[in-house]
Order: sequence, then C-alpha cells, then structure tokens
Amino acid sequence: MDPDAVAKAFVDHYYSTFDANRAGLGNLYQEGSMLTFEGQKIQGSQSIVAKLTSLPFQQCKHNITTVDCQPSGAGGVLVFVSGTLQLAGEQHALKFSQMFHLMPTPQGSFYVLNDIFRLNYA
Amino acid sequence: MEEQIDLVGKAFIDHYYHLLDNDRPALSSLYRPSSMLTFEGQKILGVEDITAKLTSLPFDQCQHVISTIDSQPSTFAGGIVVFVSGSLQLPGEEHHLRFSQMFHLVPVLEGNFFVQNDMFLLNYG
Repeated sequence: MDPDAVAKAFVDHYYSTFDANRAGLGNLYQEGSMLTFEGQKIQGSQSIVAKLTSLPFQQCKHNITTVDCQPSGAGGVLVFVSGTLQLAGEQHALKFSQMFHLMPTPQGSFYVLNDIFRLNYA
Repeated sequence: MEEQIDLVGKAFIDHYYHLLDNDRPALSSLYRPSSMLTFEGQKILGVEDITAKLTSLPFDQCQHVISTIDSQPSTFAGGIVVFVSGSLQLPGEEHHLRFSQMFHLVPVLEGNFFVQNDMFLLNYG
C-alpha cells in the first residue's frame, strides 16, 4: 500500500464528488465515522451526508493546493489538505484546511474514519 | 460542556506548543522512533531527526497563538487526531504567520500520549 497513491486517489475522488454531487459522498463514510465541520461535531454516514448536502450553497469548486499524507500505523492513512473553495456567485475564494483519517475496508478500498474541516480566515 | 476527548486534545496542545516556544529540545519526549513529521512538505522520520529539525528551525524564539483545536477519537488503540490552527509570531517580524497542523496521538502506558504523526503547514494569505 502506497500512502501517497491512496491519498492522491482519495483526494481527487472526494473533492470531485463533493463538487458534482455531495449526496454521493455517503459511501465514503460509515457508522463510526466522525466529521468536525467548523467546530460542529457530526457522527455517522447518514448525519454527515445530511450536513454536507445541507450546506447553504448549490455549487462549489474546490482547488487543492497541498496534499500531505502519512501512514497512521494500523493500515490507515492520514491526509492533510489545503486549498481554496469557490462558491458560485462569491467574488473571493475561501481558503480551507482539512484532514482525513482513512481506514481500509475488507473490499480493498478506504473509508473516512475521521474528517476535520476548517476555513482559514486571514 | 467539553467532552473528554477535547480536554485531552487541549491539554496535549497546550503542552506541545509550550515546549515548542520555550524548550524545543524537550519535544523529543513526545516522539518515538516510529514517529513521522511532514514539515512544509518535507518528510522526516523518527524522534532524533524530528528533534533535530525542530531545534534547527532558523529562529531563536517563537510564539504560537492557537485559534482552534478540534479533536476526535481514532477508534483503534485509543488514539486521537487533533487539528490545530493558529498564528506564529517570530521576533522582529511585523506580521504573524498563520499555520495549520494535525497530530495523531497514540497512548503510552503512563496515560500520556506520543506523537505518531505530525503534519505542519503555513497558510499563506
């Protein structure tokens, strides 16, 4: 398992799904998954998808600036992302940082166990 | 009402940045041979090389001011992931640098934690 390859594939898939069809993110989370979104804690795939699909914008576009990753020691991969988020109709892009802790599934792919998102205010 | 995990995360963060700002060599107590640091994209492995990197950063003094700390349990083996944002003031520099950092903490027998994974990034404006 190459953490860099896993991280890159995950980041590409996650943000393109987020930008095209947020409801499709559901199969990346499981019952035990946790999201902290701007300080708000949400647990479980259903609640997480409900939160992400209810964010107050129709369209957005993530532009990824940096992706750092490391193996977390139990077959898991930690991914640390920074980038910008362009909301339709907004003049300025928002800067954000996000971390994911990915765990392997029996089928050979990965799911998100931990997800923490923060906007970076100037 | 703070949860236990938030208290643990905050206590670790307070301790970590206190050492970073006041006694960088003492940070070696928080890392192990298996620890990994990615510092502005540069990958460093093991307590010795990590401590060498942190103690050789090109400034004598710094002050971290923490804006946000988010912690989550990491199911297996009682680990915790902590995500920090804040600013970094270097003496003589007029403007603060903003940064984000994430830690994966793994418990040790005495009830403390060591840093298994550490990733640091400056947030350019």
